[in-house]
Amino acid sequence: MPVIELNLNRIKKIISGNVTKKRIVDTLPFLGLDIESQDGDKIRIEYSPNRPDYSTDFGIALGLEGLLGIKKGIQKTNIKKQGKFEIKVDPSVSKIRPFVTGVIARNGTIDDETIKQLMNMQEDLHFGIGRKRKKSSIGLHDLDRISFPLNYTTSTRGHSFVPLNSESKHTIDQILSETEVGKNYGWILGDSKNVPIIVDSEGTTISFPPIINASVTAVTTKTKNVLVEVTSLDKDAAEDMLSVVVAILQMAGFEIIQLTISGGKNSTPRLNSRKIQYDTRLTEQILGLNISTSAMASSLKKCRLDAIQKGTKIQCTIPRYRFDVFGPMDIVEEIALGYGIDNLTPKLSPSQKLGEKSLMTKKLEIVSKITVGFGFTEALNSSLTSKKILFDFLNRDSSQMISVIDSKSQEHTILRDTILPGLIENLSKNIHESYPQKLFEVGTVFSKAKPIHEAINLAGVIAYKESNYSEMKSILQSILKTGFKIDSKTKTPKDNVTTFANGRHSDIFVGEKSVGTIGEINSDVLDNFKIRTSVVGFEIKLSGLIFD
Amino acid sequence: MSQVLHDIEKKIIDSLQKILEQTPEQLSESTELSIDQIRRGIEWLRLKELAQVKESSKVEISLGENGIDAFKNGLPERKLMDLIKDGPKTFDDVRKTLSGAGFNAAIANAKKNGWITIEKIESGSKISIKEKSIETPEEKLISLIGEKSIPEEQIENKLALKFLLQRPNYVIQNTEKSKTVSLTDKASKIDSSISHSGAIDVEADVPSVFAARTHPLKDTIDEIREIFVKLGFSEIQGNLTQSSFWNFDALFTPQDHPARELQDTFYLENLKFEKPASSKQIKQVSASHSQNWRYNWQLKESQKMVLRTHTTCVTIKYLAEKKPDEARVFSLGRVFRNEKVSYKHLVEFNQIEGIVIGNNTTLRDLMGIQKEFYKQLGLTKIKFWPTFFPYTEPSLQTMVYNEKLGKWIELFGMGIFRPEVTKPLGITKPVLAWGGGIERIAMLKYDLDDVREFYNNNLNWLRTV
Repeated sequence: MPVIELNLNRIKKIISGNVTKKRIVDTLPFLGLDIESQDGDKIRIEYSPNRPDYSTDFGIALGLEGLLGIKKGIQKTNIKKQGKFEIKVDPSVSKIRPFVTGVIARNGTIDDETIKQLMNMQEDLHFGIGRKRKKSSIGLHDLDRISFPLNYTTSTRGHSFVPLNSESKHTIDQILSETEVGKNYGWILGDSKNVPIIVDSEGTTISFPPIINASVTAVTTKTKNVLVEVTSLDKDAAEDMLSVVVAILQMAGFEIIQLTISGGKNSTPRLNSRKIQYDTRLTEQILGLNISTSAMASSLKKCRLDAIQKGTKIQCTIPRYRFDVFGPMDIVEEIALGYGIDNLTPKLSPSQKLGEKSLMTKKLEIVSKITVGFGFTEALNSSLTSKKILFDFLNRDSSQMISVIDSKSQEHTILRDTILPGLIENLSKNIHESYPQKLFEVGTVFSKAKPIHEAINLAGVIAYKESNYSEMKSILQSILKTGFKIDSKTKTPKDNVTTFANGRHSDIFVGEKSVGTIGEINSDVLDNFKIRTSVVGFEIKLSGLIFD
Repeated sequence: MSQVLHDIEKKIIDSLQKILEQTPEQLSESTELSIDQIRRGIEWLRLKELAQVKESSKVEISLGENGIDAFKNGLPERKLMDLIKDGPKTFDDVRKTLSGAGFNAAIANAKKNGWITIEKIESGSKISIKEKSIETPEEKLISLIGEKSIPEEQIENKLALKFLLQRPNYVIQNTEKSKTVSLTDKASKIDSSISHSGAIDVEADVPSVFAARTHPLKDTIDEIREIFVKLGFSEIQGNLTQSSFWNFDALFTPQDHPARELQDTFYLENLKFEKPASSKQIKQVSASHSQNWRYNWQLKESQKMVLRTHTTCVTIKYLAEKKPDEARVFSLGRVFRNEKVSYKHLVEFNQIEGIVIGNNTTLRDLMGIQKEFYKQLGLTKIKFWPTFFPYTEPSLQTMVYNEKLGKWIELFGMGIFRPEVTKPLGITKPVLAWGGGIERIAMLKYDLDDVREFYNNNLNWLRTV
């Protein structure tokens, strides 16, 4: 979940009414925001990825105003038409990054904190709905450095300009190979010969989307007027992103002016709100809450939506930036939030049926009881383990192993096909504890089989100087006999197994079916695990034996 | 009444009946018990008035440096007598052999014994024999002691000893305190061989042993499972490896969503699920994605095999297959996240998830179930906060107050499945879902601040927790 840092004094100032800091802190969770930590006025907040409008304190203030009852209903998107600002789209972008949209934001004030907040917003938009800039990306520019009309076009990789945070000209190729952002996001452009750029009427490059802006239009604390541009693979996605920025900049006090866009399938953004008809019966059905239609409408307005009562229905108006609202179920949630989750009282309705554990669970409980009765302590290991433990240390053939892709942890790369190696590894970590040591584990094992077969196995180990095959065989046979009335036999295997000492292991049979193995662990294996005592172990497949 | 005797006591009595007085060390040797056991045994016997302990101090006499010299070469006065036995000698002559303190002592003692006469002559003083020198008591004593150490009480001529003690470094006195144990009359009659009380040293240290047990985390899992069953939920089971279709697509997670990326989810190398669901299910899920998320849904993505990132894939599959009108079921087991392992993150942990389907299943009912669940766990201070899950709406999380930490902590989440999830799978009734990670609850229970402890299998912890 994304995190944002707020300053309570600042957010108090942004909110138009009078409210105490305590009230703000108490209300935040009811917007769905988790307070991660608080240090005086500094407060770190986790917000949901579906609410990029909460990526700045302006957006959070907008929400707070509603829930606190200071300002209710929709914040109208007010785009003034002025015809002065324009982007023309060159057809050459259509195969690379076909869409551009944007607005002009004027007469605002930007301080350091505002820049920080806007950068946080940008990062969130890039990562989330921008899908790491691949789908859409955004650029903010100092308007007064730009001469209109702009041209969204393409250039060769030899084209050069001074990128943001740099003082010298770089070619596109240099930007992609030398700068941090170039290295991180260059893959998006693939190996296309030409790349998208935005140039102004004097031929100055202002942006190389989705990688980097030009230095010349950098937004600073001196900036009063801003150009917002979004480029994208998808027109709706571009306007989604733009709508969030517009809502935030409007809340920050900017005046929004239209940017005319033409060329290709592009058009000037309108960022219209949507209407959803809400059947008021849903409130009781879903929330179990019996409240009047007007109370519902009032709750919705507290969530910064508009709501008009129409008989048994409510007509809701959803601002463009609330694209997380899909339908009536989302409206139900807004009603719950507006009404106040803490005003909902829990109700315990009895179950119509008795609950029951699965047959497997019941059988495994018996396995557990009996094995513990034999003095075994239960171990728990990851089913995702390492090749070293699973194969190398036991000299086992790893050709059929199941690997995960790109694990962040070296110790967790292979799905186990057997439990025993993990238990031996546990013994190796406990060589300083008193002996005898007896461990068992029940868990899932995996094997390749169109695509994967999963089974539940039971394995056990005994470690001390005199541990031996016969001791373990007695125990294993007794577990099956006592717990499940199953008679088992051991048969001398045809081949030796690298895990066990030659002539000191067998296959376990129930009837004609081989269900597992048992044996004294090979001294080479014990050496690999640096175990200096004798170990005997077994493993049986419980699936198909005591449950299906 | 016959005495109940401990094996240690019996052995001591037995030994003292043969050798009447012994020191504890001697007893330890004769009984083959440790010195600690002997001391303890003597103490018990004393309390029972079966043994008495005599504490005594013994003085041992041995020769010092000068004493040893006298033993080998005679006392200085004897050396003097040897020097002058063939005729008188001057002081200077004698000094050549007997120097320093030895000379003075020789002259003084020989004179005192009346063995010599000293005359003044021109060249100094001349020593000559006065009468025959017989062996003195001191000399006898030195011969008696020799190179041994003997108890003072064995020395008859106390006066000789006194004289020798006055001379430097001739004899050494060593005082040794000792205990000797002997039996009382009462005990000397006990026949320890026929006493068969079977008593043992009940206070002796014993080796530590540990009960075998189920894993503490397993105990918490079982406890939570029992509560679900008590609340009317029945257990269903599902695979740990799943197709992306059931883990993501069926739950309305768009195919380009960051949660589906390699860095969060474990994909299995070179494995795919050819037909992850029925044609109808695939068609409808695909349509829901294309329409609501506005992108081109691909079968190929949904065929990729993953390690399940939640147990919800099991419950949604159950719902899609059985389409029950009314049910309470739950699924419990391991789930996986491709994360860096740390004190608060594991790549593999346990999750439980329950669902309720039927009529009159409202958010308030779900909150009621939650409240009861926590009550069963002994957690009564709870509250609900809104939150976000991609496949439920509305969504809440439970906050539970932890007295020890003095703060609210987030435990289970809950919500109602989105219609975008249920409708394409033919599920028409609202489905309430709730659940969360189990390790978190177990950590509170066992007072752990590092979740990895559960999977370390550290025997010291497992044996004593």
